Amino acid sequence: MPPLDEDSRPRLAAGCRWSEGRGADRSVLSPEGAILVKGTGRDILEHCDGQHTFREIVNALAALYTLTDVQRIRQEAANFLEQLREKRIVDF
Amino acid sequence: MSSGPLALIAELTHRCPLHCVYCSNPVEMQKSTSELATEEWQRVFDEAATLGALHVHLTGGEPLARADLTELVAGARAARLYTNLITSGIGLSEKRLDELIAAGLEHIQLSFQDCRADAANLIAGARSHRLKVEVARSVRRRPLAFTMNIVVHRQNLDRLDEIIAFAEQLQPDRLEIANVQYYGWAFPNRHALLPTRPQVERSLVIVQQAQERLRGRMRIDYVLPDYYARYPKACMGGWGKRLLLVDPAGSALPCHAAGVIPGMQFDNVRQKSLAWIWQQSSAFHQFRGLDWMGEPCRTCERRSEDFGGCRCQAFLLTGDAQATDPVCSLAPLHRIVEREIERSNSNAGNAPPERDTAPPSPAWTYRIDPT
Ligand SMILES: C[S@@+](CC[C@H](N)C(=O)[O-])C[C@H]1O[C@@H](n2cnc3c(N)ncnc32)[C@H](O)[C@@H]1O
Ligand code: SF4
Ligand code: SF4
Repeated sequence: MPPLDEDSRPRLAAGCRWSEGRGADRSVLSPEGAILVKGTGRDILEHCDGQHTFREIVNALAALYTLTDVQRIRQEAANFLEQLREKRIVDF
Repeated sequence: MSSGPLALIAELTHRCPLHCVYCSNPVEMQKSTSELATEEWQRVFDEAATLGALHVHLTGGEPLARADLTELVAGARAARLYTNLITSGIGLSEKRLDELIAAGLEHIQLSFQDCRADAANLIAGARSHRLKVEVARSVRRRPLAFTMNIVVHRQNLDRLDEIIAFAEQLQPDRLEIANVQYYGWAFPNRHALLPTRPQVERSLVIVQQAQERLRGRMRIDYVLPDYYARYPKACMGGWGKRLLLVDPAGSALPCHAAGVIPGMQFDNVRQKSLAWIWQQSSAFHQFRGLDWMGEPCRTCERRSEDFGGCRCQAFLLTGDAQATDPVCSLAPLHRIVEREIERSNSNAGNAPPERDTAPPSPAWTYRIDPT
């Protein structure tokens, strides 16, 4: 498996999708269940559309949070996405 | 009051072209003439979604034996349910697969009986293995989530590494390796299926190594045989707590095997709404929560974790559905399971085959098809 790098384009894995119209409790449905994603996790995942690169996603998040510690955001987002890939919820 | 079920298990039919010796289907099956019609299933899907269910698992028997499966998938998606097909793959042409995907199918769980054709066909009681390999290849070429399920037991656990390598070639997203659970047809066959302790111990090491090696590529879930566990599993995530099963003729059950428990009254979706059933049906109330428990469960700190184990297993092994699941090391009747394990680890058990020799022929009871 290639590691996540700046040019990866993360997306929800095949067979995973956002649940429909359940407001604030937005969850991602996968073959095994539903994970409720909130806060930062939700912000990260909502950017994972398979179109944007990881670099662009990190920049967008930095702008969203008006944070300057981009390195930290990158690290946290990378860990989060790697974990979800192990669960086969995200692919890149 | 409990909240609604998380998922609906829709047993679309009990018909099946295979005869797996461990099939978890009830020994008393529903006839094809009593099966729910397409519109009746549609109402069940709609009501399940309204109750809060997020997933529907279309299973059986063999769901592909239903000529209206594509319509049912489309109906489940229209009800906004995440749609999972649990299948042996027999009867799945490329054309039908494309139709199912176009109708909204999101995940397919394909079962295999072994990695070797001869052994697989012996378990299934039919020549089916090669067909399944073809089906797996066509599934993998398409954009949906793909899980492979392989049931393991005394006769094949010694080639677990070969089984994992076989799965790896077919590239599913997930591999579910499930030890046989001893209900349905597996119960009469249990002496030929229950593994030995060394087999179980070795399997744990093999699975762990494979999980590390395949991390990020293929996820492996391993379901241990509960006869060897210290505590039971939370069967169905708790009785009447997470799952609602509707059988081919419309009876609503808290668990696949609940029909074995004498005196249970199952309500039918032809007469009652799913909401009524979930909230009022006596079958769902009988073992819901913690109040029905006797000692030692009643005062045990694990009671809200495992809910006292499996009621059907308790009944099958002790004759009393109220009893603590005898797989629990704290159960007053744990000696019943200890005896089974002793038998399995002595020569009285049905010895697993020597590697690379002809398979032995235990006197299997094959699952038969309903009329
Ligand atoms: C009963 S089958 C019905 C669907 C379909 N005929 C199939 O085989 O996939 C559902 C799943 O349960 C698995 N299974 C059957 N009997 C079992 C048992 N006694 N313990 C554990 N899993 C079992 C099968 O391998 C399959 O993945
Ligand atoms: S006999 Fe095999 S294929 Fe048929 S329902 Fe049972 S487990 Fe599935
Ligand atoms: S005594 Fe009952 S609650 Fe406690 S671990 Fe055993 S089965 Fe579970």
